[in-house]
Amino acid sequence: MALLELSDVQVFYDKIEALKGISLSVEAGRIATLVGANGAGKSTTLRAVSGLIHPRAGTIRYDGTTLAGRQPHEITAMGLVQVPEGRRIFGRLTVEENLAMGAFTRHDRRGIAEDRERLLQLFPRLRERLRQVAGTLSGGEQQMVATARALMARPSMLLMDEPSMGLAPMLVEQVFETIRTINADGVTILLVEQNALMALSIADHGYVLESGRIVLSGPGRDLLDDERVRHAYLG
Amino acid sequence: MKTLTKAATTGLLFGVGGVYLALVGLLEMMQARPIVFGAVNLGQAVLALLALACGVVAARDAGPAFARAGAGLLGGLVAGALMALLQVIVATVPLQGMFIAASPALRNMLAFGFAPGPGALAMLLGGGIGGLAGAVLAVTLPSLRRAIVAGAAAVVIAGVFQELIQLMMQYEGIIGWIRDFVYTWQGLRPQGAVAIFVIAGGTSLVLSHRSSADHVPSPDERRRRRFISAGVALLVLVLMPLLAGAYIGEVLMLVGLYILMGMGLNLEVGLAGLLDLGFVAFFAVGAYTTALLTSGSSIGLLHLSYWEAMPIAVLISILGGVLFGLPVLGVRGDYLAVATLGLGEIVRIVVLSDFAAPLLGGPQGVLDIPKPSIGSFELGSPVKLFYLTLVCAGVAAFIAWRLENSRLGRAWEALRDDEDVAQALGVNLIRSKLLAYGLGAAFAGLGGSIFATMLGSVYPSSFQLLISINVLALIIVGGMGSLPGVVLGAIALIGLPELLREFGEYRYLFYGAALIVMMRWKPEGLWPSEVRSRELHAAAGEAEPVAAMEPG
Ligand SMILES: Nc1ncnc2c1ncn2[C@@H]1O[C@H](COP(=O)(O)OP(=O)(O)OP(=O)(O)O)[C@@H](O)[C@H]1O
Ligand SMILES: [Mg+2]
Repeated sequence: MALLELSDVQVFYDKIEALKGISLSVEAGRIATLVGANGAGKSTTLRAVSGLIHPRAGTIRYDGTTLAGRQPHEITAMGLVQVPEGRRIFGRLTVEENLAMGAFTRHDRRGIAEDRERLLQLFPRLRERLRQVAGTLSGGEQQMVATARALMARPSMLLMDEPSMGLAPMLVEQVFETIRTINADGVTILLVEQNALMALSIADHGYVLESGRIVLSGPGRDLLDDERVRHAYLG
Repeated sequence: MKTLTKAATTGLLFGVGGVYLALVGLLEMMQARPIVFGAVNLGQAVLALLALACGVVAARDAGPAFARAGAGLLGGLVAGALMALLQVIVATVPLQGMFIAASPALRNMLAFGFAPGPGALAMLLGGGIGGLAGAVLAVTLPSLRRAIVAGAAAVVIAGVFQELIQLMMQYEGIIGWIRDFVYTWQGLRPQGAVAIFVIAGGTSLVLSHRSSADHVPSPDERRRRRFISAGVALLVLVLMPLLAGAYIGEVLMLVGLYILMGMGLNLEVGLAGLLDLGFVAFFAVGAYTTALLTSGSSIGLLHLSYWEAMPIAVLISILGGVLFGLPVLGVRGDYLAVATLGLGEIVRIVVLSDFAAPLLGGPQGVLDIPKPSIGSFELGSPVKLFYLTLVCAGVAAFIAWRLENSRLGRAWEALRDDEDVAQALGVNLIRSKLLAYGLGAAFAGLGGSIFATMLGSVYPSSFQLLISINVLALIIVGGMGSLPGVVLGAIALIGLPELLREFGEYRYLFYGAALIVMMRWKPEGLWPSEVRSRELHAAAGEAEPVAAMEPG
């Protein structure tokens, strides 16, 4: 069953049509990816799903219910959590406090402590830096904080916006490895990436976005082999 | 060479500062306040302070000790030369048409009572000596330096506030004896000044000796110590009106009202990051609600007692805050400041308007507001009302402190840092923002309510934009997001100027200078919140701001 389903979603920024009616669906427990060039509308798609902007037309359904008219925090409370582009961590707070903010909606102290422990195992570097002010972390570490913070909300689905942006190749590998691990723990993932090669190779299903339209879709492996994709994104 | 240029530039800057103070008339006015009667007045003290500070700044980073001394001397001489030049010009050119303060009295003061020629020499020498002393002071042992500064500060305080302090010492016996030893009725005696200097300096020496002997205090210890000294200071403040009477009671009452408003605005600006320049509107709502509910005049609605009206005033203020917040929910940053500025003015203009006059009294205001009473005991005097304010401020501080550490407080801080991310983490943007406006307004409304009963009448002209700006300035100076900072800021920006009332017209000069100095040297405020000082220090770790500002 599709956990997240967009059909014919249109988004305008004033008069600019950023999304020209896109449809996609993400199966529960899977990794789906949305790849495309700069300005294709990837972030816009995620922002629409998170409720930060409202589509002019089309429907977004999550777990069978429509998200139309819902506030962002309500959508978060439904288990759909976004890791925004450019690792927007709380730079003035420590790593520890950033993680605590992630659990903002939760009240189960026990569960929060357990999740924190689990995440520190997933990101051992953060354990050494719990007391460090997050603004002083390296880019890669900040991405870890952003991801861990989102996971502290115990989401059933994670929306990730370019987690590999600006990272060295070795770290990029690590990021995708982490995404796999998170997914293996049962979290459904919609991953937005410019790094089409990596994204498509871990995704169960991929969509290619071009100027606000989905121009191709299919299983990740197939897209990797697709001549047009190879030509446009993989060089 | 570079050191010399820098020292000369510093001297020039300080000299220009001195000339400015002289020409706006501040120096002469300060001169009217004696510190040590018949010997030192505030004006001279400020000149000396300028020379010292000039020496300190000129000598900074100048290398070996003799180079520092030279730089200090040069800086002081340059500054002194400018002041001397001013004196000669005032003596020879009739400047008073342009600068009313350029009077013979000013010249006389700048020449230390000598004729223009010798006076200029004296000023030049004085500047040089001051600069040299500043440079020397900067390189002496820190503990000695601290002792000298503490001693001098104690003497200045004891001198400038002599009326107030003497008022508190109106007793026979030992206190009276001390008073007579230290003061004449017009000011400090020289012997008193020396005694105070020695005692304050000595105490500082002993304290710094004890603390530096064995260990550096840990941050926790430092914090505890700071809280203890703050507690003592607060106790003194609380007891002061009892001892010193109505005048100080009024001043502290005003400080208390600003503390209430400061705590409210601190929730909005300091925690939630909503820059609100229309804050005075909530103060007005609280005052007018109280006035209309209690007033005995024909415009009064219900003739309630003060205690019945106060909670209603707070509730209406909360409502006002929420209504105020609704139209600006989606407005961020600079735009928010402008939008709230407009909203605040709208409130004032509506109150002033003919349209609302039948209800709100228009420019005539609302009169005949009763004082609160407990049983048959009426809180009539400023001192009694001060204690009412104090209790309210205490309760409000407790609530503010609980809010800060609540879920709502964390939501505000997250919103302030990044609205999108905060929402993505589950923060309810609309509710949190409206609560920030509403709760912030509650504090201001309570202040307004007390204000109304204090004056016994309210007029639209009491609710100027300037109040919003004062409140904002005091939380910036105190330290954004910090509760003790609000108290300190209110004392520094509201209490002090009120005590030095004769400088009233220079109040905003003082504000401006205080704000600039704070932003330059202590941008986190007098008593910063932990998060904020962390933020600034993290930033300073990357680029040393002082070095960046130095002329190449
Ligand atoms: N707030 C905005 N106002 C106006 N136009 C916007 C806004 N945000 C995005 N756009 C426009 O919408 C289009 C899609 O932007 P979007 O951020 O979704 O691209 P993207 O695919 O995420 O690109 P990138 O890979 O660079 O992050 C772009 O043309 C962009 O200029
Ligand atoms: Mg993007």
